Amino acid sequence: MPEISYSKEVIRDLIEGKLPWSRTKSIISGYKDEDRFDKYVEILQEKVPWSEKILLPLTDELYIVQKGEERVVKCSCGHEFGDYRVNWKLNALTHVRDTEEELQELYPYPGAPEPEYCEIREYYCPDCGALLQVDTVPFGYPVVFDFLPDLDSFYKDWLGRPLPQEKEFKDLSSEFIMKKWLKE
Amino acid sequence: MKQKAAKKGIGYGGKSLKQMLVERERIYQETGFYYGLEDLPLQTEDPFRLELLHERLLAAALAGRETTRMVSASPQVRETAELAVVLYTPEGDCIVQSTGLLIHIPIIGHVLRWMIGQDYEEEEGINDGDCFTSNDVAIAGMHTADVYDIQPIFWGGELIGWVGTVIMEAEVGALLPGCMPCDATDRFVDGIKFTAEKSAVNDNHLRSFERKIRLDTRMPDVFLLDRKGALAADIAVRQEMKKIVEEFGVDYYMKAIRELIEIERRTQLERVKRRTVPGKFHSPSTIEVYLANSPVPPHHRVDRITLVPWDFHIKPDGSYSIDFDGTGDWGWHIHNCTPSALEGAVSMILTQTISTTGKANHGTMLTVDMNVPYDTFVNPSSAHLAYCNQFAWPLKGGPKLMVQQSHAFFCRGYVEEVRAGNTMLCAGGGCFCGQDHLGNTEYSFLATEAAGAMGGGAFAIRDGVISEAIFQPDADMGNVEIWELMLPMLWLGRRLMPDSCGYGRYRGAYSLISTWLIYQTPMLALTTGPSAQTAKIYPNMGMFGGYAGPNSFEKVLTNTNSKQLIMEGKPLAHGSYDDGVNDLEQNIEGDLLVETRNGQWLCIAEDGDIVQSFYGGTTAGFGDPIKRDPTLAKKDLDNQLLSIKRCRNMHCIEAKYDEKAEEWVIDEKRTAEMREERRKERLAKAIPTQEWWQQRREELLEGKMPHLIKKMYNESLTKGERWPGEFREFWCLPDRFTFEED
Repeated sequence: MPEISYSKEVIRDLIEGKLPWSRTKSIISGYKDEDRFDKYVEILQEKVPWSEKILLPLTDELYIVQKGEERVVKCSCGHEFGDYRVNWKLNALTHVRDTEEELQELYPYPGAPEPEYCEIREYYCPDCGALLQVDTVPFGYPVVFDFLPDLDSFYKDWLGRPLPQEKEFKDLSSEFIMKKWLKE
Repeated sequence: MKQKAAKKGIGYGGKSLKQMLVERERIYQETGFYYGLEDLPLQTEDPFRLELLHERLLAAALAGRETTRMVSASPQVRETAELAVVLYTPEGDCIVQSTGLLIHIPIIGHVLRWMIGQDYEEEEGINDGDCFTSNDVAIAGMHTADVYDIQPIFWGGELIGWVGTVIMEAEVGALLPGCMPCDATDRFVDGIKFTAEKSAVNDNHLRSFERKIRLDTRMPDVFLLDRKGALAADIAVRQEMKKIVEEFGVDYYMKAIRELIEIERRTQLERVKRRTVPGKFHSPSTIEVYLANSPVPPHHRVDRITLVPWDFHIKPDGSYSIDFDGTGDWGWHIHNCTPSALEGAVSMILTQTISTTGKANHGTMLTVDMNVPYDTFVNPSSAHLAYCNQFAWPLKGGPKLMVQQSHAFFCRGYVEEVRAGNTMLCAGGGCFCGQDHLGNTEYSFLATEAAGAMGGGAFAIRDGVISEAIFQPDADMGNVEIWELMLPMLWLGRRLMPDSCGYGRYRGAYSLISTWLIYQTPMLALTTGPSAQTAKIYPNMGMFGGYAGPNSFEKVLTNTNSKQLIMEGKPLAHGSYDDGVNDLEQNIEGDLLVETRNGQWLCIAEDGDIVQSFYGGTTAGFGDPIKRDPTLAKKDLDNQLLSIKRCRNMHCIEAKYDEKAEEWVIDEKRTAEMREERRKERLAKAIPTQEWWQQRREELLEGKMPHLIKKMYNESLTKGERWPGEFREFWCLPDRFTFEED
């Protein structure tokens, strides 16, 4: 079977939702292009206004980048959220949508969530004000750490090119809270 | 002394099925390969022959499914295609599956293994032409309404496999009519049970089986015709299988099916390594049950919210691990979950998101490990629970796997495979009982009209698809005219509800609303559909700034003047909603009842009353809504799916309606200004998460939360092993902290 590969232009259009549907459909239905990740990162690297190397696109706005010996979460605008093993939401801005007016905007019909029971948490980038994530969770639930990637296993075992300065695969969010917030 | 010769088993090679099952498990544990197949000789020698066999088996399953559709009687089968046909190994491992109700694939395998474990071979007897019927969730199943009809496949006197068909029934003879009675809180009242019972011999249903159905269900003709349809499909598949085995040879067939499973196991691990990124994902989910004021036994009259944390780990070896640690208590209600149902949910998601080549089988599931703590909501310790809405959590929690796996696809660059979530089965419709339009006074039915057409979450590169349902991808909502044959109701309207999507850069699908006129019945008792059990707490389904969409509701208008309006030729109601104004309340007089909880009794309606169901699927959005391409918003405005008010509020897009051209025109300059203003507003109103944490922590310590939430957390803090520590660590709470309940 011939190796499937798409040009950077095709992948760029795909990412941006500009590729014609017939082409998109053929990509969805076809064999996957195994060189996607590197092209994807290259395209995104060209789009962001900063130079740190992208190790992993985390969301459509956030990236894990290599910054010196550290790996930090960085917004496309340039704002940095710190070590990728600490939930980036802890260093974001939070707004809980809990007024009737705010809920009506989203849910104009009977059966809207009840703010006493359900928190609709909106997380914004402190610099650009982008809405990065909306969590809809029971009242009082800890801040959800959506995804902690196992970066070293990914690069070493799956891509076959280990990253420098291996980091322990560990959620450091609670440690961060204990050390930084509880003392303040 | 002369030793008695060991009795020959009915399995392949003269082994008993039990021996085969034990041997299969032992070899897998010892070698890590299905049946120890470290090498794949058939694939190596002649891959085309193996591929041909697979395609022939798949075609047999698909053809069997169509046979059932044509023979069955119920709209659930004919119209919304709620069925599937699957082929299994003698040990109950799936080899190939048809399209359809995919959630049942591993579950029927559990039933087969239960039968083998219970020594059916010796005690019940398993013969060519037998059929075994099962809908007992205490063994394995999704809910009482999903009935499995299973036939063995023999070759040369030896059992070489099984064929199973699943059909959902609309009536199961429970305490209350309809197949999902919300007040049937234990197994003794939740419907007719077939505990893997022999239902046919020599391809003919037993008279005792038919008599039981005649007496124990309220719509026996439908139930029986579905059994006939399933049996016909099983026979058709079995006959086709025999042709295939004759062509390929039985030894080749037996080796090949094992190799197909091992190939799929390896392929799945490889797919994961090539499409995703390893790591840990987390998301919580809840199930809400409100029975305090329901007509159930006094000790079951409890309101409860149960927490189900979902920890998903993609491991470096490509396997998946899902941990339900921290899940709360099971209860006396119809929504409890079982490990086999969770397997069904996982299988259904994987089959449609990553193992999409038509070769998903038991091998796919061998790569998934689950921790389902015993004596919790996901693994109850009582065998006497009711399960007529067991799929509540698999279809509400299952999409978490879809969202989390999507996140991994996104990180890897396969953006075309990324989609936000939706509750896979919205409420709406419901159970109806009483008298029908044909004069039948023992009428009972579950309308699942929009179940297969509820709409999905947004994708990372496009909007969510309207009227699709991932739990049943090739289904639809069925023809109104067919539903009207079964229901004492006439459709007044079936349309998409404006502003019913989850907002985002890409929006979730808009959901459907149906409006019915109750027709030619003096008494029709109504309940809301007991489905996702969402009322106060919405599911966490949005991705990267997208919101969850609205949940379902039902309205009933009784004592109406609809007949007078019809006589006068005046407008009725068709489900039109426009910024708070709707034609039901505007055009028709009557007593209005609105219910937003699932599984609740509404009232008794009669000829001329109106029922309205909004099938809100909480279809979630993807990305920041103020980054939505205005041309996509214009399309929704032009189609009257998006109101200008929400277009401005949610997307910060200004537009004006051009009366002459009959279309909306985007004001790009004002749109850019509004978006800039919104960013500033966000920065002004939001607070640092640290500040929020301190405020919320104070509230938690002071117990400022509803009783049900405290109870929910206390259950999870008591039941869990890992999760309680994480909860207490996050909020910096003492080691044994629990909430003081009122």
